[in-house]
Amino acid sequence: MADFSWASRSPLEHALATGVHGARGIEAGVSLTEIRNFELIQVMARRGKWAELAKAAKTRFGVAAPEAPKAIQAKDAALIWSGPHQFLVLSKNGKHTMNTLAPAFSGPASLSDQSHARALISISGAKARTMLAKLSSLDLHPAVFPVGAAAATSIDHTSVTLWRGGDQPDGQAVFNLLVFATFAESLWHTMLDAAAEYGIDIRYSEELA
Amino acid sequence: MRIVCPFCGERELGEFTYLGDAKPRRPAADAGEDAVYDYVYLRDNIAGVMSEHWYHGGGCRTWLKIDRNTLTHEISSVEPATGAGARQVAK
Repeated sequence: MADFSWASRSPLEHALATGVHGARGIEAGVSLTEIRNFELIQVMARRGKWAELAKAAKTRFGVAAPEAPKAIQAKDAALIWSGPHQFLVLSKNGKHTMNTLAPAFSGPASLSDQSHARALISISGAKARTMLAKLSSLDLHPAVFPVGAAAATSIDHTSVTLWRGGDQPDGQAVFNLLVFATFAESLWHTMLDAAAEYGIDIRYSEELA
Repeated sequence: MRIVCPFCGERELGEFTYLGDAKPRRPAADAGEDAVYDYVYLRDNIAGVMSEHWYHGGGCRTWLKIDRNTLTHEISSVEPATGAGARQVAK
């Protein structure tokens, strides 16, 4: 039997060019950072098993699983609401993979590995909210969409998971966005167009925001 | 038009897909050809409040049962259709 070697590559590998893009001569108003090499597991409760799943999640992560559109930060993972009785586990460095989660979760839940099925983009900067307002119909005002708020929504007709991460040290908001890998490049270009007038600082990172 | 998803909150119409009348029920196996024909093909064209199925595909991917006035687009009720999430908001 042939041996396969799967080299994981970013869905934005071709589209993402690091550096400054758009308006020049001003401080970049929007920072777009693609986060690479993460683990993402979809956890969906089996019918009638949510209570059991929530208990298993509390034991495993030390925090309650989200029951409403929120992203909950655990010590070494983020639990992001993705629909009723389901959430995503986002982590790094092999802490929470299919293999390590299955023993505790495969009873009350269906697990599905989405690590290479999504692109993760972190959006920050003074004009981040202004730029997102062009694309999203959600109210992202801090009073309505505070740190830890999450939403399953559509941007540019593309389904995304959007949530507020922890603020940056200077107090600026951070919006994290998960998008299907095959739609990532299209959404990326849409965001570049929307942010160009503010100046964009483009990077990629191996660290979760 | 905006729909208040019981899970996500108020969202724009573009996130939803319309299926149609939520009233038809699959007839019993021995109900006869006319009943099946009615179930598959015949729909009331209601000018007024109608119960409909909508899918929040651009959001939480749940099916919703919505009472909508076809004359005014006023939505009087939104509830999850039978399924995994329905129990979560059941009164």
